[in-house]
Amino acid sequence: MNNGKAVVLIVEDSALIRMGAIDLVRSAGYEALEATDADEAIRILESRDDVDLVFTDVQMPGTMDGIKLSHYIRDRWPPVKLIVASGAAILAESSLPVGSSFFLKPYDSHAITDAMARLLAP
Amino acid sequence: MPTTPTVHFEAASTLAVVVSSNEPPLFLSDDLKIIAASASFCRAFEIDPASVPGRLLSELGQGEWGMPKLQSLLMATASGSVKVQAYEIELKRSGQTPRQLVVNAQTLDDGDVDRIRLLVAVTDVTDARAETRLKDNLIRDKAILLQEVQHRVANSLQIIASVLMQSARRVQSDEARGHLHNAHHRVMSIAALQRQLSTSPGGIVELRAYFKQLCQSLGASMIADPERLSIDVTADDSAVEADVSVSLGLIVTELVINALKHAFPDERNGTILVDYQSSGQDWTLSITDNGIGMPEGNEAPKAGLGTGIVEALVKNLEGEITLADAGPGTIVKISHQQGKGSRTDVSKAA
Repeated sequence: MNNGKAVVLIVEDSALIRMGAIDLVRSAGYEALEATDADEAIRILESRDDVDLVFTDVQMPGTMDGIKLSHYIRDRWPPVKLIVASGAAILAESSLPVGSSFFLKPYDSHAITDAMARLLAP
Repeated sequence: MPTTPTVHFEAASTLAVVVSSNEPPLFLSDDLKIIAASASFCRAFEIDPASVPGRLLSELGQGEWGMPKLQSLLMATASGSVKVQAYEIELKRSGQTPRQLVVNAQTLDDGDVDRIRLLVAVTDVTDARAETRLKDNLIRDKAILLQEVQHRVANSLQIIASVLMQSARRVQSDEARGHLHNAHHRVMSIAALQRQLSTSPGGIVELRAYFKQLCQSLGASMIADPERLSIDVTADDSAVEADVSVSLGLIVTELVINALKHAFPDERNGTILVDYQSSGQDWTLSITDNGIGMPEGNEAPKAGLGTGIVEALVKNLEGEITLADAGPGTIVKISHQQGKGSRTDVSKAA
């Protein structure tokens, strides 16, 4: 949390989709941080301790895709909530960390904000 | 005890059959000496036919047929303990690429129990195996490419949908925001179709699954209280081409949004039913709600049909659209009958 608002980190390599996600997060009343790939996301998570939720794409360039990133975050920062989105066919729920949510692209904004509200509820 | 000579005069007919066979068989004695080899075998494996009779199999060519595994399998066949069926083996000859062979071997059962002879069939499957591998690679590459395309389409639709939502959040006017939300819903309807297409072969869409997904998505984004309002889907097993399902999906989107917006004011409870039935080439799509019903007057029905989109789509599908009182509520029916031209009279049935 930062200044009473939950902090959401968006990880997405496509600039236009990232913009849309930032708008979605801000209009839901949260603070939005952005990263273009897993490496940048990890750097941000290492540099601050107030990130409450990570909203990540799956297909990204770099060392890790979104699935590996979500497992890495769960191992290293267990309290951080996870939402994963993908344009590819439905992933097996079992390939994601327990308690994370998965959405197919294009995702419905309300569905995402509802999921965030549920995950961020105290 | 005198040893019987291993060379024994086989029936002339047997030898003739072996030698002239198109499939390359070998006719062997139980100590793996060749009694006869077909001309096709000699041709296929570059063996001089004259050098064949009486030679040990392992002495043929440059000894390439002396593979220990083959030898032991043939000996086991001769002793009756094994029948070699479709055994794959690699033939390695110096200076040549290896060949994949399929070997079948059995003892010749012609009633002569004293002399064990083996009939060995050898088929060169190298080219067939290479073709299969190539085909498998092509199929896999195609599947990967299709996934790539699907991924890009999903991303593109995501961009469009979120641009519309961003605009909707910024406009001041309710009317403009409504239009942008509608546009967003139509994009999500296309997206649902994309997903169906990506999982179904041949570009055919199963309507029941598609409509269910569509209505679930519409409900998730438009129904604040699922205890109060719900959308049900009933459909037969129809599966139609992508073009038709795009139109049907857009019609369902428009009419369901309409019902959600206009049929249940003042926190009324209600249900919207989407139904699709077909018989041969004829089909009927109906959207029924149990809300307040249509207001009086001729203008209302037309205005309620998504600014002409529904009419245009129905015309495109060569169908007819009718509105009727569902007592309570409204039923909008779109039907297509083979042989009838398109009519889009919006007539209020009694």
